[in-house]
Amino acid sequence: MKKNTLSYKCQQYAMFAGISTAAFVAVVILPFVYGLYLTFTSWDGVSKDKPFVGLSNYTATFSDAAFWQALGRTVIYSAISVILVNVVAFALAYLVTRGVKGQNFFRAGFFIPNLIGGIVLGYVWKFVFNRAFVALGTSLSVGFLSTSWLATTGGAMLCLIIVSVWQYAGYMMLIYVAGFMSVPKDLIEAAQIDGCTPNQTMFHVTVPLMTSSFVQCLFLTITRCFMVYDVNLSLTKGEPFNTSVMAAMHVYNQAFTYKKYGVGQAEALILFLVCAIVGVTQVYIGKKAEVAA
Amino acid sequence: MKKFSALMLALLMALSLAACGGGGDTAPDTNDGGAAESGGGKVNITIFNSKSEIQSQFEEMAAEYSAATGVGVEVYFSSDTVAAHMATRYASNDPYTLAMVDAKDIYSLGPEHAIDLSGEDWVANTNYAVSVGDQVMGFPVCVEARGVMYNADAIEAITGTPFVPSDYATLDAFRGLLETLVAGGMESPVGIMKEDWSLAGHFLAEVYEEQDDVFGYVDGLYAGTSTVADNEKFNALMDYFDVMKQYNYAASSPIAAEREVSEQYLAEGKIAFMFGGNWDWSMINAYDYSEHLGMMPVPQNLDDGANQKLVGGGSKFFFIDSSEYTSDEQRQAAKDFLNWLVFNADGNKFLTEDCALVPAFSNIAAENLDPLGASVKEYADAGNLIDNYNYLPDDHYSMMGAELQKYLAGQQDRAALAAAIEQYWASTTPVER
Repeated sequence: MKKNTLSYKCQQYAMFAGISTAAFVAVVILPFVYGLYLTFTSWDGVSKDKPFVGLSNYTATFSDAAFWQALGRTVIYSAISVILVNVVAFALAYLVTRGVKGQNFFRAGFFIPNLIGGIVLGYVWKFVFNRAFVALGTSLSVGFLSTSWLATTGGAMLCLIIVSVWQYAGYMMLIYVAGFMSVPKDLIEAAQIDGCTPNQTMFHVTVPLMTSSFVQCLFLTITRCFMVYDVNLSLTKGEPFNTSVMAAMHVYNQAFTYKKYGVGQAEALILFLVCAIVGVTQVYIGKKAEVAA
Repeated sequence: MKKFSALMLALLMALSLAACGGGGDTAPDTNDGGAAESGGGKVNITIFNSKSEIQSQFEEMAAEYSAATGVGVEVYFSSDTVAAHMATRYASNDPYTLAMVDAKDIYSLGPEHAIDLSGEDWVANTNYAVSVGDQVMGFPVCVEARGVMYNADAIEAITGTPFVPSDYATLDAFRGLLETLVAGGMESPVGIMKEDWSLAGHFLAEVYEEQDDVFGYVDGLYAGTSTVADNEKFNALMDYFDVMKQYNYAASSPIAAEREVSEQYLAEGKIAFMFGGNWDWSMINAYDYSEHLGMMPVPQNLDDGANQKLVGGGSKFFFIDSSEYTSDEQRQAAKDFLNWLVFNADGNKFLTEDCALVPAFSNIAAENLDPLGASVKEYADAGNLIDNYNYLPDDHYSMMGAELQKYLAGQQDRAALAAAIEQYWASTTPVER
């Protein structure tokens, strides 16, 4: 059988990647293209006809101040969360790979928040912020704890960040743990024999060899933070005064609650572009920094 | 040959996967079944229920109804917003035979998706059906109204005299009562729900609904010719709001007040008053409530009669799908079901006793209503309901809710609030009606 013909190659492709390609096209590419089409219509979400309106949804998007505020808020939230999640995750991973007693137990423990769905997590933490902290604050008369943080503009954002860090740090920790374990022991020993201090070993040997873990973790946290919706919904619902509405929530409201489907879709597209640009740039830079052992 | 068989296997797997997915999607779809079986006899209909508190009653009723009539009834519920849920069902060409939606959804969905019910017998028995053009499209499920909920037991425990709500129709009298309560040991006799749908969707809406010429006033808001800041009604209602703010149990951090807690306080008599509606009963009855609760009009120092009336009317409406995905037999079965609700004793019992809804039909007697519902029925029967304004823009409750929250939290004054309301309306595309 000839291995160089087009039909042979097609067969090979269909055999190995056919199913996933079909699934990918069906659930990602087609909806994406259809969504793109919807941005040029003034569809309300239920109507049978979808009037073509050209670029007016995009002009509406650019004049939608609430959307840009939400996007700006999301960028700030993501920047802080991404840094904190990764710092905490890295520290945890470092601690649970040092051979402390019961480290597997700790690994499982730190990972568990990630297994709780975002909605439930939001309600749990809402209780903590609204009741537990306040009860604690009033009984100990600690001023900043005695009113709910969720009721203040900056406080609600802070709460969102705290919950995100709590939720994602365990997951990212696992990736960093894998990174730590993949660094060859002999390299570390060689570095120590050459007279490296623990800090030097860490930053000149271990960390560079873990670059791929950093790239993965950063990519995951950035995209997840930009797309945050579930925690946002159950923890703050955009309150107070709509000052904790993140981009994804604004898009949802715009499309489904305010029934401006086309505008919502156009805004979703912009959110996607922002997210894609940030994500791809980060992976590109990260990949360049990778070194081989 | 080996490769060929491998390819076939891969194909088979792909197909079986697709089959699984397809099966999962169509399983709850009784429309096909209904259409296919319609020749044979049994008709299946689907009902969308958008009142979460009566879902279990609905499911029980569906089973009994099916057993009694032979019509298969499946009841669905979604916690999504009604419009969003209907959007997904219509997008997947899988509409409900009978869907319970809000009045504004009848206006937006009706012309395309609902059938005309003008010829039905129940139309003569209600004032609350929703018509689009000259066609009746919405079947009113119940009557709901807004006003000030009170706990009479808590009040009487302090005043020592029977509580007669009509004695406190003016804001001055009401304020006097609050002061008495405070002096009598109830430190903060009032709760305020900070939810945007309550603040803007229910409370602020009364500013429009209680105008002499509602449509004219709203049209003026769109055009920028009606004013808010110097409007008599706005100021009367905000005067009331200020009093509530002053005596709010959560005055130090009003935005942190949780609805569950406020309702519990009202139920147990820790507070005596809160603005709300008879739907709040579904939360109040989860607590150890005291016996004599009720609803009264919002106290105001205006003699336009609004302080003698609750605001409300028909709430939640059924419409029957008109698309080709519903068969005529299904439509007939859905009509029969609506008639059953109105004219059959079991149907009446389901509405008023099982679900504790205030009936929207004059021929249905309701004896065992909850206290809030009983108040609403009293006002409704006496013709003392001010109509809902069902044409608020979709983002009104969210945008204006945020502004009222700012006012509630003391972050903006009345003038700024009024300006924000005027500005919102002037920059919004008018809703057709």
